[in-house]
Amino acid sequence: MTTSPQATDDARSWRGGRVRWARLFRQFGTLIGFIVIVAFFSWQKPDTFMNVRNWVNITQQVSILGVVAATMTIVMVLNDFDLSVGTMASMVGIVAGTLLRDGYMLGVALGLGLLVGAGGGLLNGVLVSYIRISPFVATLGTLTMFNGLALYISGGTTIFGRAIPTALSDFGRGGIYLGIVDGQRITLPYLTIITLVVLIVVWIVLEQTVFGRRLYAIGGNMEAARLGGVRVRMLRLMAFVISGMGAAIAGLMLVSRLASANPTQGDGLMLRAIAAVFLGMTMSEEGEPHVLATMLGVLILGVLANGLTQMQIDTYIQQILTGGIIVLAVTLSSLSRR
Amino acid sequence: MTMVHPPPTPAPAESTLLLHITGANKAYHGIPALVDASLTLRAGEVHALIGENGAGKSTLIKLMAGVLSADSIAMAVRGQPVNFREARDAFDAGLRFIHQELNAVPTLSVAENVFLNQRYPTRAGVFVHWRRLHRQTRDVLAQLGITHLAPGQIMARLSPGDQMLVKIASAFVDANPSAAGERAVAIYVMDEPTAALSTSEAARLFEVIDRLRASGCAILYVTHRLDEIFQLADRVTVLRDGRVVDCVPIEGTTAAGLIRMMTGRDLQQVYPPRGPDVQVSERVLLDVRELTTRAIHGVSFQLYENEILGVAGLSGAGRTELLRALIRADRVLAGTVSLNGAALQARSPAEAWDQGMAYVPEERRSQGLVLSRSISDNITLPHLRHLARRGTFLNHGRERRTSAEMSEAVRLKAEGVTQATWQLSGGNQQKTVFARAFARSPQILLLDEPTRGVDVGAKFDIYTLIRKINAQGTGIIMVSSDLPELIGMCDRILILRDGALVHTVQTEALTENELLTLCYGELSDDNQPASH
Repeated sequence: MTTSPQATDDARSWRGGRVRWARLFRQFGTLIGFIVIVAFFSWQKPDTFMNVRNWVNITQQVSILGVVAATMTIVMVLNDFDLSVGTMASMVGIVAGTLLRDGYMLGVALGLGLLVGAGGGLLNGVLVSYIRISPFVATLGTLTMFNGLALYISGGTTIFGRAIPTALSDFGRGGIYLGIVDGQRITLPYLTIITLVVLIVVWIVLEQTVFGRRLYAIGGNMEAARLGGVRVRMLRLMAFVISGMGAAIAGLMLVSRLASANPTQGDGLMLRAIAAVFLGMTMSEEGEPHVLATMLGVLILGVLANGLTQMQIDTYIQQILTGGIIVLAVTLSSLSRR
Repeated sequence: MTMVHPPPTPAPAESTLLLHITGANKAYHGIPALVDASLTLRAGEVHALIGENGAGKSTLIKLMAGVLSADSIAMAVRGQPVNFREARDAFDAGLRFIHQELNAVPTLSVAENVFLNQRYPTRAGVFVHWRRLHRQTRDVLAQLGITHLAPGQIMARLSPGDQMLVKIASAFVDANPSAAGERAVAIYVMDEPTAALSTSEAARLFEVIDRLRASGCAILYVTHRLDEIFQLADRVTVLRDGRVVDCVPIEGTTAAGLIRMMTGRDLQQVYPPRGPDVQVSERVLLDVRELTTRAIHGVSFQLYENEILGVAGLSGAGRTELLRALIRADRVLAGTVSLNGAALQARSPAEAWDQGMAYVPEERRSQGLVLSRSISDNITLPHLRHLARRGTFLNHGRERRTSAEMSEAVRLKAEGVTQATWQLSGGNQQKTVFARAFARSPQILLLDEPTRGVDVGAKFDIYTLIRKINAQGTGIIMVSSDLPELIGMCDRILILRDGALVHTVQTEALTENELLTLCYGELSDDNQPASH
């Protein structure tokens, strides 16, 4: 068979080129979108947006969302969801705030708060993994339970003022002094540091451990993973426990940041965390969540909130724009996947 | 640009040319899958399409179905040039596709599945006219000689073979019977329809195919089973590496000739012999006593060191379930299993793997592989802890080396161990599952249909591998519907019927007929094994 090799090669490389562009766009479309957003705000607000201090601010603003989104990523690697993280964060805040008000030591309050998070996650894990309720239904149920518990424990009131020790509220506002840039004092917020630590731990767990690899296997094909020697039930359970603890950490960070505990103050975290994971998933060829990509999703949400607020856009309009951008990103990603 | 086409087979004047394809080209990511392929289908013929996995059969079929667009192709149906942009176009042109995978809706009835791609007959244009739907379904089934299925039966309760017959029936329903004259369905493409069928179910399918041929349809029949070709086909087109090697009438060809065309080499012996110094020893490796699960009842047997033990039986006899009980994928209700004299304590597949068992499941895509992940990830999955640093942290280098070594051992053809497994051909996917099973030199290897849907060349590779691992002392239990394969590879064969062990036979001097007879047990008149 004699085909002209020259012609075939040309056609192939041309086609290959187009495929490569589609792939690049698919993988980095979200990143490009992020750069566009940053460029837009830099142009609109040249003085206040693009400077070190504002970026440090942004990291602090997204730090709490970052923790929840990072641990949510672990659950979503399994193709599961944890809808209860928002009310869980509120409830843990109330538990810790109540203990502090009643005079318990800071360490006890924080420790018990984390324990409550782990326990709630364990409940989710047992329901999903052993009783085999769909994660959507199971965590929707516990979402409501945690919400009710938070309201019941607090009596529907906010815990604030002298009840919250200054050590905790100072921590939420403080940071490590880095130096002076452009005449501004720059400190690295403690909350940002916590998020970085959580991020690194989650990255190591997902990308560098046997546990993480097995989670991805379960997410890819649960039956094949089980037959291939993965303890599916135990691992799913552990993922939900981790997610519960992430929510608890976020709940405590909120108390510290706001110097108060309100029975609904963490509720909004859940939807934004899931949105951040979805934004990150658009960057994966296989549509798998990865925690660094999730962080890009978190940053997109944070930058939008920061920039739009600086432009004095109404918060209602902000919501419309943010939602629209999420839908747009996922749409473009799935279109380029065809 | 000059292209020399392979000489097209001239269609004889007396039979109508239903489909004519020339110059079909398709490449994935620059890698050619089809090069200048051609195909002709005449009215009243069964045309076999064969080739190794990755030879381009699936690609050609997808082009015909309009689900994949060619880089270049010239296609004509009944002499009219056509250009299929989507599946509907192929459907409207009278092409029907029957795939090996059952994509029926298990919760719906037979009738609903038969009419799945059609508008249901309605009353007042809105409400489903159930009685008419059932009557039409009965008519379609009757036309195909399927009388044992009722339209109201729920799909999930049928055997895989019956489900396949329902799917085939659905391919016979024409959207618009009134316009049947000109646009009647004329071309059926069947992609390994017998893969999940028992012998008698396959025989029923062959009758249906004969009926279709007699009515002037053309059938493109894709298979890996050469015996079926000689039984059914009028002509055969052989693909190799995306090119048409030849298109020949079945008279005058031999199985050896076809194998030579597919592989480009001679395969003297289909089953590699046992090594001269490998003897089944007296030592009992696995002792199974009264093993009972929901599907199998009181099965007892021994597996000796260096032995290959076959498991035969009709579909539904409990063959797969026996392996699932041993790997602990199904709950064991009673009985004991001892490995090397010690009781097997495993309660999950994870623990069974850790105690030296390895498993190649029946369905490599749904049960074997995590398709989104790489070859390396799939091979190392059960062995991660052993490859990791301190049992916890992934050792990427070691994983890569191990999986590269294992890929080479199973002669896997891929771009590298980081390639995603969904991109591999069926044979290479199966080799990936094998590489995983071999990676830690298991004591017991459980194989469920190890060569199903695998081409001739890869089959031989897999047989050679089974011999090799067996020579190292691994005991092998192998379930297969391919009886010659069981006789050719195994030392003894267990025969299951209705979940119980009914016979154990030595394979020496055993014939396929004897084995099949044992599988069926006492024969009643309406339950004769197909005599082909």
